[in-house]
Amino acid sequence: MKKTYKQLELLGWKFTLTPMRFVLTALLLGSLAVILVRMVTGYHFVTNLSDETPWGFWISFDVMVGVALAGGGYGTTLLVHTFEKEKYRVVARSALVTSLFGYLLVMAGLFLDIGQWYNFWRPFVSWGHSSVLFEVFWCISIYTTILSLEFCDILTERVAKKMHHWVIKALPVLLIIGLVFPMMHQSSLGGLFLLFKTKMYPLWWSELLPLYFLLSSFFVGSAMVCIETELARRAYGHAIEVSILKRFCRVGGRVMAAYLLLKIVDVTVKGQWGYVFANTMQSNLYLVEILLGIVLPILLVFSPAVNKRWGLLLYALLTVGGIIMNRMNCVFTAMYKSGAYFPSVWEILVSVGLIAAGCLVYCFIVENFHVIGDSRAVHRRVQKDLGSGHD
Amino acid sequence: MIVEDKVSRRSFLKLIGSAGVVGTGLVASGCSGDQAGGKGWMPSQYENKGNYAAKVKGRIAIDEDNPSIMRDDAKCILCGQCIEVCKNTMSVYGSYNLPIKKETPCVNCGQCVLWCPSGAITERTDIDKVEAALADSDKYVIVQTAPATKVALGEEFGMEPGEIVEGKQVAALKALGFNAVLDTCFSADLTIMEEAAEVLHRVVSGKEPLPQFTSCCPGWVKFCEYYYPEMFDHLSTCKSPQQMFGAVAKTYYAKKLGLEPGKIVSVAIMPCTAKKYEAARPEMNAAGREYGQDSVRDVDIVLTTRELAQLLKKNKLDLNGLTDERYDSILGESTGAGKIFGATGGVTEAAVRTLYYYVTKQTPPETLLEWQSVRGLDGVKEATINIPGAGTLQVAVCHGLKNARTIMKRLKSKDAPWQFIEFMACPGGCIGGGGQPRSAVPPTDEVRKARMKSLYQLDKAKSGKHASYENAEIQALYENDLGKPLGERAEKLLHTQYTDRSRLLSAKKE
Amino acid sequence: MAQDKGVLIDLTKCIGCGSCTVACKLWNKVEFNEKAPMVGTGAKLNDKNWTVVERREAVTRQGEPVYRYVKQQCMHCKDPACVSACFSRALQKDENGAVVYYPDLCVGCRYCMVACPFDVPKYEWEKALPLVAKCQMCATRLAKGASPACVDVCPTGAMTFGNSDELLQTAKSIVANDNKYIKHIYGAKEIGGTNWLYISDVNFVELGFKTDMEDVSPVTYTRGLLSAVPFLAVTWGVFLTAMALYSRRRRKLEGKKGDSDDEE
Repeated sequence: MKKTYKQLELLGWKFTLTPMRFVLTALLLGSLAVILVRMVTGYHFVTNLSDETPWGFWISFDVMVGVALAGGGYGTTLLVHTFEKEKYRVVARSALVTSLFGYLLVMAGLFLDIGQWYNFWRPFVSWGHSSVLFEVFWCISIYTTILSLEFCDILTERVAKKMHHWVIKALPVLLIIGLVFPMMHQSSLGGLFLLFKTKMYPLWWSELLPLYFLLSSFFVGSAMVCIETELARRAYGHAIEVSILKRFCRVGGRVMAAYLLLKIVDVTVKGQWGYVFANTMQSNLYLVEILLGIVLPILLVFSPAVNKRWGLLLYALLTVGGIIMNRMNCVFTAMYKSGAYFPSVWEILVSVGLIAAGCLVYCFIVENFHVIGDSRAVHRRVQKDLGSGHD
Repeated sequence: MIVEDKVSRRSFLKLIGSAGVVGTGLVASGCSGDQAGGKGWMPSQYENKGNYAAKVKGRIAIDEDNPSIMRDDAKCILCGQCIEVCKNTMSVYGSYNLPIKKETPCVNCGQCVLWCPSGAITERTDIDKVEAALADSDKYVIVQTAPATKVALGEEFGMEPGEIVEGKQVAALKALGFNAVLDTCFSADLTIMEEAAEVLHRVVSGKEPLPQFTSCCPGWVKFCEYYYPEMFDHLSTCKSPQQMFGAVAKTYYAKKLGLEPGKIVSVAIMPCTAKKYEAARPEMNAAGREYGQDSVRDVDIVLTTRELAQLLKKNKLDLNGLTDERYDSILGESTGAGKIFGATGGVTEAAVRTLYYYVTKQTPPETLLEWQSVRGLDGVKEATINIPGAGTLQVAVCHGLKNARTIMKRLKSKDAPWQFIEFMACPGGCIGGGGQPRSAVPPTDEVRKARMKSLYQLDKAKSGKHASYENAEIQALYENDLGKPLGERAEKLLHTQYTDRSRLLSAKKE
Repeated sequence: MAQDKGVLIDLTKCIGCGSCTVACKLWNKVEFNEKAPMVGTGAKLNDKNWTVVERREAVTRQGEPVYRYVKQQCMHCKDPACVSACFSRALQKDENGAVVYYPDLCVGCRYCMVACPFDVPKYEWEKALPLVAKCQMCATRLAKGASPACVDVCPTGAMTFGNSDELLQTAKSIVANDNKYIKHIYGAKEIGGTNWLYISDVNFVELGFKTDMEDVSPVTYTRGLLSAVPFLAVTWGVFLTAMALYSRRRRKLEGKKGDSDDEE
């Protein structure tokens, strides 16, 4: 039997109070304090960044990992709305919410990381169009706008209801655009590293980096959906059928296999097998990333283990772990010089705080809007409980 | 079923269309080729030239491990005066071919310090070492003072150039807490005893070549090691007064006072930055070697005149208000000959006074007690003197290392009738040394002359004792410890050898 | 369009005086910091040191151990990675070939710092609103036809200023005619060529230069990607639209056949 927690109600908006949410709120408040210090004093009190390692935890985790994981949304959207794979529609809304707030957190994290934050708008008018980062910047900006508009579909079921049919009408176009942009910026995040050829350990540099980042962002989407739905199941008792998730993950698994194959071909063509087994720190981290983050999940997802929830969850965790490792490796391990960098406790606190904020917002949205469950169920509920609001 | 669209396709397309136009317009502003930051640079640092002077000149290179001098870049104004003096007066800068080898050729003379108008180049400070030694109750700290400092230290306290502050300096040093205040002029006399004996020996035995070069100036010695190593056997093997003092202090003096040599900290107040380098030369540990403790140095710390002034001011001691005090014995007595060491020509005059005595066993005549031919600021001076029973002695004196090259050229072209040559690196001799107060920047002959005059005055004032052999404490030293000049013990403690440094650079052919 | 200007540094002529480092600070009004020396062993570029002269121990080809003083500053590459990296055009190559920084446009993302193959751009980590710091090649002096401040002040003539390709020819003839030089001009080909060139009598590796650079600028790779992107985006968009229409049509047809709505 599920425990019931006290619910906070304010002007019709509900928020459940659980111990976990107190912890998250505390983390969020802590990170806000650090953010204030960061904005007022700069980097030297709050981070361990230096000339040797100008990109640190906020870029590698908040931005790179953040975009990859938050981008899980587009994979689902692709399958549901383009290929009209109705069986995945049930997870579409949840994926959208995760995506939107994930991207907003990425932007928040990025905003904290840049030195002249009040100049954030410059690339909108001063076009450094030879830069891959320019493309990333624009695409993420537009995509977040699109996501926000798509979110209006959910939002206008309860707020500003008059706008709802406008939004519904716009949705198909938004969805198409919303599928082009992620393809661009996910791959371009990989493209950022193309300039670093002379500085990166050969195992992580390739002309195919954009493709690698694109493919990995796709298959991590299915893993993220597994994790989110598992958390939702534990919190709200709302379960998605294992068979649906399994099929979704197997689509991801096929992409993962293609990714692995590409990597093997790439390494062979470049004659880099020596680096793979060189037993240096970089080589060993590469092996861990590939074996635990790619090979093992592939084996898992095509085995009967994924007929059970634990199997799916294990697949998801390994895959997500592999992506985190991959992005971190690209930023840190590949360009490692002596004088290693380790994030300061404040940097980690800020990142954790941002994630905590994301979790809290997600919980709020899910409890006040119709996100979990299929769109049909959502609308039925709207028609039924206009005015009342209880879970 | 989803609520059907009440919005017509047309109005929807209109909406999208207008949104698109507005968006495009906003964004197209970024299309322009001009940078959004405008045409001008920001900040103004790119437009005006900061603190950049209309005409800038390069400067000398100072090795980071140079023991004598260092530079504060924040004060450098790129005036090029350091290159001026190093090149034109000392002929060190620009005297070697590039690329360099393992060091920047530098004779540590410190003239660049005197010429730097902004005070960017200074001596490498050793004040903290002295303070530490004075504070250490376990150590017996002795100090020797060079003659040139006695006529210049006052300038740091507002006195006229050349004002004699010998007694006041002693008082000040005692007030600082030195256990014994002793005199470099004592060991200058000692140097003369040895050096004059050496000249005589060269003349009589014919074994070592003439002319003999003085070796008391470490700047000159290093210069010779760089550029004229083939002339080493001309260099007197005598150490400088500073180093002879150091060796005697930790042997003879230590024994006489019942002190452990390892507990003595030997400090020297010098007008010279090269003396810091000299004290650190590896072979300058004769006393230490005697006790089997090679790490014990003959002289531990050298302070320039300016550093002493700083130390005094730090301790709120004003030289003006102090009363004269006397040096401590048994290394405190000096004759007039020891006093004039600091002036160019002074070493020669002092040496010949005692040489005269060595040869004739008589007191030197009046001319030698005021030998005008070797005095004065001419770059190269030549003089002769007749020593009854020996013949005519011909000497040369030069100061400013460019003039040393003139002498060496004449030597090479056999246009050199001298038996004795005094070389001083600094213009004016030690009174114009790199560690002296910067009463005039760049240094002027006026200041140099004033200081020299005072030294000769000190000589005159010394009644009856104008030649080194007349120093009673020196006589006692030889009787009780050293034996005789150039004797075995003297050779061990008071004589040195030189290092060929010509491979450290690629000297330009003259 | 004006010619690229450059500087040829003859490392055999540098005596390590550091006049260039002082001139740089005087011209650019940058503070001195005695904790971060500009000349000597371990001298490093940082937000206040836009050029340094590092003392390195090396061995000549005759086996003689020597010190060499190596001036370091922005190489003002012909196809700069930092200019390509900057998404707000805060780093631009001016008509004289100098790579100049516009602080007004800088967002502070530090992509340029990671992109630079020579690790030149440094950051003002101690400030609340930091800027990137690097040699600007005294762009205002170049605009008036003068040489950069560091070249102007050098007392030994270790640096020569002029048109970049003329300097390359000069370097080639120096190296060809004098046996003491290593037969390599650093910057001639490295990452597509730089405007600051070095010649030396000691191996560049010993002097701390990065010698494993390829002959193309890394910008070539991003150019390739960015030129492909619009095409790919449009193609993908068209494909998606087609797929969406096709799938919708299929669903409608299936819907007409059987039940009215989709399952779950």
